[in-house]
Amino acid sequence: MDDALLRLTEAVKTGKRKDAREATEIALNAGTDPETVLAALTAGMDDVGKRFRANEIFVPEVLVAARAMKTSMELLEPALVSSGVKPKYTAVIGTVAGDLHDIGKNLVIMMLKGANYGVIDLGINVPEEKFIEAAREHNPDLICLSALLTTTMPAMKTTVEALRKEGVSARIMVGGAPITEAFSQSIGADGYATDAAVAVDVANQLVGA
Amino acid sequence: MTGKEILLKTLRCESAERVPWVPFVGVHGGSLVQVDATTYLRSVDHVVDALKVAHKRYQPDGLPVVFDLQLEAEVLGCELVWAKETPPSVSSHPLAERCDLSLLPEFSTEAGRIPMALEATRRLRNDLGDDVALYGLLTGPLTLGLHLRGDEFLMDIFDEEDSAFELLDFGADVACKMVDAYLDAGIDVVAVVDPMISQIGPEHFQQFVAEPLNKVFDHIRARGALSSLFVCGNATRNLEPMCATRCDNISVDENVNLKQLAELARPAGKSFGGNLQLTVVLLLGDPMDAQRDAVRCLDQAGEGPGFVLAPGCDLPFSVRPENLEAIAPLVRDPYQLEIARALPENLNEVGVEVELPDYEDSSAVIVDVVTLDSAGCAPCTYMVKAAQEAVKVFAQPAEVREHKITTREGLGYMKALSVSAIPSICIDGKECFASIIPDRSELVKALQQAASVKS
Repeated sequence: MDDALLRLTEAVKTGKRKDAREATEIALNAGTDPETVLAALTAGMDDVGKRFRANEIFVPEVLVAARAMKTSMELLEPALVSSGVKPKYTAVIGTVAGDLHDIGKNLVIMMLKGANYGVIDLGINVPEEKFIEAAREHNPDLICLSALLTTTMPAMKTTVEALRKEGVSARIMVGGAPITEAFSQSIGADGYATDAAVAVDVANQLVGA
Repeated sequence: MTGKEILLKTLRCESAERVPWVPFVGVHGGSLVQVDATTYLRSVDHVVDALKVAHKRYQPDGLPVVFDLQLEAEVLGCELVWAKETPPSVSSHPLAERCDLSLLPEFSTEAGRIPMALEATRRLRNDLGDDVALYGLLTGPLTLGLHLRGDEFLMDIFDEEDSAFELLDFGADVACKMVDAYLDAGIDVVAVVDPMISQIGPEHFQQFVAEPLNKVFDHIRARGALSSLFVCGNATRNLEPMCATRCDNISVDENVNLKQLAELARPAGKSFGGNLQLTVVLLLGDPMDAQRDAVRCLDQAGEGPGFVLAPGCDLPFSVRPENLEAIAPLVRDPYQLEIARALPENLNEVGVEVELPDYEDSSAVIVDVVTLDSAGCAPCTYMVKAAQEAVKVFAQPAEVREHKITTREGLGYMKALSVSAIPSICIDGKECFASIIPDRSELVKALQQAASVKS
């Protein structure tokens, strides 16, 4: 791997956005295939996920890594589009109705983007109709529901039920501090991620990546 | 010694005659007076009424007055979204675009809902203050920083260090103003609640959060009061630096192993508290689950001074009151603790099926008393005695049978009769008196009623 790509991976791992931007520029200007640049980016985010899971780094470190990745993606995305590269999978994500928390959801988004998912972010306090609408519009492989409050867990249940009733075929993944595997199963979700780092693994399993 | 004195002694990490119990009745107070969270957290009368109910029902040694980490943020310009069963959430961050403190309105403890919390404190001090230590809760500097600046704040600590320090120091100054107002109103213990600490690593804790916290703790100490650091979430990695701050007490939730905290806190001269499970046990479980979990907390806390039995954090709105009522007897009565220890993990897995008699068919009224063992456990002795004496007075055929849960058969009866607490009196197969020993006339009345169904 050339120096610029190594530098890009390192910039994401350490959360240095200026470095990430510069390294991306250098790589693209040197004519590096955008998909190869994306792979370097993904390698950085993958490392961040592993260290987060191992309790070696914490939310602030993941946030700055995600920000560095976002900075790089701003340059990379147009290059990917013009070379005809599309994300392999599409995910729709949102925090369920009544819940205004978004750190966890945003971390999952960055992790998924880092793993080459196209992500449609519906934001916070998302009613079930909006999930259904997005499922129809984008035909995603995966729908991700987040909740931080015990009191909004029932909204997760009704959203899953509504999506099923509407015949949405996407796999449904749930997560958030109060959610457990048992709860996930009881509401008929397809998968449960304990945290943002695990979310990519679960997502990959669900979509068969 | 009053419960309050026991608690204050324990908070100073001194030996006390028993473990104190502090149920964190925050938003749950609303359900105790049948109003939703939005109404509750805006009303002095509701807060005072609810905490009086909590005092009566839960027999606490300490109570928080208002558990709402949005009080200061609201005064400082954060918009709130209100909910029926949770405290409000912050929906806008006044410093989101620019971390410039001059953008904030001046902080005053006379603004927003803070006067409500202070007035509730004054009234509760008057009504309950002799028996119960009152906790005044304020928002810790890190969590307040997040409220004001949003997620950006967690990135400022990497690339805008000076403004991060400034915001945290501002948070400490706001906290000190809250301390003064609370102490003037009659608060005994000031809890600095900073759940966001569970989201950062120990290096960032040391670098950014320890000093602002110490500023607040020093201020509390200088005013002659006691301080507690409340951190909800998995704060395990920060326990050591938390124990190195100058607070008197550390309170954690179920994500932290209390044994681990005990081993760090006691040598540091700090008391510690926690960590009854909020959702699985207190919200969704039954009184026996609550008691088993309390035993787990007491065992993990181990021998030695300085342990406060408490839930891990703000109690959920709809937590079952009977689950909290089941806790106080354990800290006050060694026999009740012994009974709780004998409770099986899961009655459904006991595996002994007993065949209950055909109660309807029996000419005599059958009184099943389910006990730990009436020979060695005082409440059980009195329960069995109460049943026997009532049967003597009762003029019709009746029979008292004791089932000890120290035997497999006894556990089988406990399960078959759906007993909710030990000791328990069941009359003709129905639980009539659980845990609390009835007076004779009540018991005789219940026997008469059972007999009337037969005839």
